Amino acid sequence: LTQQSTAPRRTPWPAMTVVIGFEGSANKIGVGIVRDGVVLSNPRRTYITPPGQGFLPSETARHHRGVVLTVLKEALQQAGLTPADIDCVAYTKGPGMGAPLVTVAIVARTVAQLWRKPLLGVNHCIGHIEMGRLITGATNPTVLYVSGGNTQVIAYSERRYRIFGETIDIAVGNCLDRFARVIKISNDPSPGYNIEQMAKKSSRFVELPYTVKGMDVSFSGILSFVEEMAHKLLGSGECSAEDLCFSLQETVFAMLVEITERAMAHCGSQEVMIVGGVGCNLRLQEMMGVMCAERGARLFATDERFCIDNGAMIAQAGWEMFRSGQVTELKDSWITQRFRTDEVEVTWRD
Amino acid sequence: MAVHCSETSGQAKLEFALRIPFPSEREARIALQSLSPDREPRRGGIGKEMRAADNVLSVTWAADEARILRVSVGSFMDHLALVLETMEEFGPPAAP
Repeated sequence: LTQQSTAPRRTPWPAMTVVIGFEGSANKIGVGIVRDGVVLSNPRRTYITPPGQGFLPSETARHHRGVVLTVLKEALQQAGLTPADIDCVAYTKGPGMGAPLVTVAIVARTVAQLWRKPLLGVNHCIGHIEMGRLITGATNPTVLYVSGGNTQVIAYSERRYRIFGETIDIAVGNCLDRFARVIKISNDPSPGYNIEQMAKKSSRFVELPYTVKGMDVSFSGILSFVEEMAHKLLGSGECSAEDLCFSLQETVFAMLVEITERAMAHCGSQEVMIVGGVGCNLRLQEMMGVMCAERGARLFATDERFCIDNGAMIAQAGWEMFRSGQVTELKDSWITQRFRTDEVEVTWRD
Repeated sequence: MAVHCSETSGQAKLEFALRIPFPSEREARIALQSLSPDREPRRGGIGKEMRAADNVLSVTWAADEARILRVSVGSFMDHLALVLETMEEFGPPAAP
């Protein structure tokens, strides 16, 4: 399920194509190098805030500024390559937080010019999808993309990754992260991971609002509800923090499985792929797996190396884009905080 | 070569100018093209112009309020420092 494919999957090309990818749209900064379907290196750092605190744009940008060149050096060293071996420099154009995006884009633009290589701005969501396809080998899956900033159900049709359903307010990962802050769960290595571990210690379900609206989901009401109830219930001993973690996961994951199943029925799809940081949650994978088994469908998922934001995913999407003839001129290389998955014309798929 | 990074609205009161010399014209131009694509996050109240001539990158600001000017100049200095560090670590520019 999580094996790295070692053979190039695409049509032969005169020479091997090496793409370096820079990612820093949220609290992870990563640089990855991909050569024809093989991840040569993928170092990453995470900006971890104290319990109860989220990551703010300017502090996150400062973190990225402090480590980006070290991570870049690691990426080249681990791949055993020099700048001359690189064919294209890819970076995240958006969506994401403005200040961190600019920081990473500036380094990408500078090295692209120093090394005289073409530059390529990549949509972050497309990066997750293409990385997932490479790692899992899924050919045409219904995609559930779940992270701290995004929650979308996506299917490919006629040169676009089309959004079938999405959150109408906050992302599922944002709901989990903010719940973690309310009850002061550690952000190390990530709030979602710690919620998952705590949830394993409970099986007592506290009923929470369940908000699926057609193809879309909503998490802000659930968050408000648990924020308000948490201290009351925990203070009176009516339930434990573990019970709340368990109940929150069961509720929001059931919602995600429901809209994914609806999109599959609509598209006649027999494959599901989960990408994005929340996608490495094993309970979500397990619940999705049950649904897939009932439908005779296959589930594809990856582990934290590729689910969580990383540089190789930008390199991989950049590789596909570059090979289909795309490049980004420097004057057009501005970053954008809003950049929908379906804005990108998928020039590399039939 | 010059790039206008944002529009100035109304009568600008406060101005700030920087001249940054680089080892060569090529590096000044690289810095210009790395630092100029992104628009100022704030709409209005500040104008910024960058140009590279010979080996010097020149930046001028014109703003209505000191606070806005300070934020923009501060953020530019952070970005400039990052470009300079990147050039030190991964330069000099490759030959054509």
